[in-house]
Amino acid sequence: MSIFRLELKRVLKSRLTWILLALALILSALLAYLPTTYCYSSYTDEAGNEVNLTGLASIAYEKERQADASGIVTPERVREAVEIYQACLMAYGVTESYDLPEGVYEKEILPIAPLLHGVKEAFADPDTGMAPTIMEIDPEQIDDYYSVCEARIASLMAMEQPDSPAARRKAVEMYRQVEKPFEVYPGMSSTITDYQNLMGFLVLLFCVVIAAPVFSADYQSGADDILRCTRYGRVRLGIAKLLAALFVSGLTFIICAAVFILVADSLFGWECTRTSIQMLYSIVTLADMNIGELQRLFAVAGLLSTLASVSFTLLLSAKCKSTVASLASALVFCIAPVVVTMTVPGVLSDWLCSVLPASGTSIQASILYAITDFRFLNLGGWAVWMPYAMIGACVIEIPLFAFLAVRSYCKHTVK
Amino acid sequence: MELLIDHITKQFKDKKAVNDISLELTPGVWGLLGANGAGKTTLMRMIAGIMQPTSGQVVYDGVPIQRLGEQYRDIFGYLPQEFGFHQEFTVKDYLAYVAALKGLPKGQGRRKIYELLERVSLLDVRNNKISKLSGGMRRRIGIAQALLNDPEVLVLDEPTGGLDPGERVRFRNLLSEFAHDRIVLISTHIVPDVEHIATCHAIVKSGRLLATGTTEELVRLVEGKVWSCTIPAEAVPEYESKLQITNLRNENDGSVSIRYLSDRPRNAVSRAVAPRLEDLYLWMFPESSGESDRRCQ
Repeated sequence: MSIFRLELKRVLKSRLTWILLALALILSALLAYLPTTYCYSSYTDEAGNEVNLTGLASIAYEKERQADASGIVTPERVREAVEIYQACLMAYGVTESYDLPEGVYEKEILPIAPLLHGVKEAFADPDTGMAPTIMEIDPEQIDDYYSVCEARIASLMAMEQPDSPAARRKAVEMYRQVEKPFEVYPGMSSTITDYQNLMGFLVLLFCVVIAAPVFSADYQSGADDILRCTRYGRVRLGIAKLLAALFVSGLTFIICAAVFILVADSLFGWECTRTSIQMLYSIVTLADMNIGELQRLFAVAGLLSTLASVSFTLLLSAKCKSTVASLASALVFCIAPVVVTMTVPGVLSDWLCSVLPASGTSIQASILYAITDFRFLNLGGWAVWMPYAMIGACVIEIPLFAFLAVRSYCKHTVK
Repeated sequence: MELLIDHITKQFKDKKAVNDISLELTPGVWGLLGANGAGKTTLMRMIAGIMQPTSGQVVYDGVPIQRLGEQYRDIFGYLPQEFGFHQEFTVKDYLAYVAALKGLPKGQGRRKIYELLERVSLLDVRNNKISKLSGGMRRRIGIAQALLNDPEVLVLDEPTGGLDPGERVRFRNLLSEFAHDRIVLISTHIVPDVEHIATCHAIVKSGRLLATGTTEELVRLVEGKVWSCTIPAEAVPEYESKLQITNLRNENDGSVSIRYLSDRPRNAVSRAVAPRLEDLYLWMFPESSGESDRRCQ
């Protein structure tokens, strides 16, 4: 305990550590605030003047306008919204809402828009996947809305996973378990979780930068020669260094994720977090959770991914003779999921992204996108939903890489 | 108490840095003498257990140190040639860190740190960052950390590098007091640092052990080979080109006193003088006094 405390004190005495921790905290708050700046609304006031709103004012305006749409998404309410939509467009002789005269959308469609989310997708052609316009949907079919959605996930999976009956079966089963009817509380957009992903990735990078020199800096400076000759200078010191790095990284991520969620949800409204993720992403998203639960699950997955990445970085640090080598190789592995997503085709990309420790909160390849997607890893007759695989991989990798890091450190000898 | 270096060899690719060295270290101060690149640091690293020998082993009281592991490290103190430390450490924090790693209880560690800081005259700078201190001060911190656990086996690689004359004397006194009933091995190529405090010396050259023994035993090897004479100043270049001069001093009358190594006297006025350890060192390592350059010329 004493060695751990002293090691922790040593890590926290570094100016670089404090700069990175402060930067991580500031970025977390800033990234939570930034999505509000993209919110934009405009309407024509009673005097006929066009009023443009941005930021929090825009969020407040849209929330007020869509207040009636809030609540449980029953088939009846969806049908009513579709009927209002169709009547409005028919009245103006158009087939798409963007052809409506100025001000009509804001007045007629905006208040019911949250309920229309996913309707087109639910009625997509089972063979081609092409979504109809809302005008083409028969309102009577909406009476059995959630059965239509369940049929849609089956047809979608037939297209996504044609060679894996296990994946198709599992997806249908998962979607059947999703609590219905959905709920919607307007005001939040998926940009917030995208920014949470970015926040997680940046914090992961900072933690890796802090962890990369843990062992290699001692090798490089020669400090290790002295420490290694002390009674507890091998296994105990190795474990203390590892635990200190994991503790600092874990705590940093938890604080940053908490700050992000607190700031974002306070700005957009806590009630929005009760919205089912199907009402923000695909209507047939497989996960049974609301936005708040998604934020928390994503934070936990990001934490696991950060700890796995730090464990792996410590392994590299224990193997490399210089801080530059350990830092460079660790950063390569941090951005590896992004490169893999962009360059490696289909199934191999899925496997690599599931196994790479930084995938949990990486750009483009994060667990967030895996949760809102329909990808499964297939092995023989086995199919595992990618988010499960990613979380499982991190849970295995944290102790595995930690063990290997301490082992490498203990076995290190001067060459 | 005995530390046995048993036929130890370390090979780096095509070079043997240490070549089949065997040595039995008993309590007392041992001087490990050798020129740069002789293999002293490699040998010490293997004694410290931070470098694996290619063959041979280091045995402490009959048990190989690898098998002793933590037990050996508990009675071991080491100062490497390059004293590495974390940039963020103050003197006190660093010593507390090493004391904890050496398993010293908190109170005992604190007392020992203050005692050693006083002994190495660093009490005033205990709260300063090590990175802000001079090379000599850092060296003294290195010596202090090695002594924290009162080691039975103390290995110091070039401990006096960067110390001023006063610090050197204090270091020698500290070590003489400390060495009672312990094995202390000091590597150096600054012979006077160990001449008076070492009970025994081991001389290594090109990875091989050339000689071991007490100062008296070793200097006997160059008895009758150390000469002194006074020559005119203008004759110095000629003597320098022909002889291995170990000391040269200008006299008030314009002549120059020289001390040189040779199998026989080179002039009629030369007289044999009592050899010192430094004479032996220079005899064995002629390159240290420029002898190899002279021979090339």
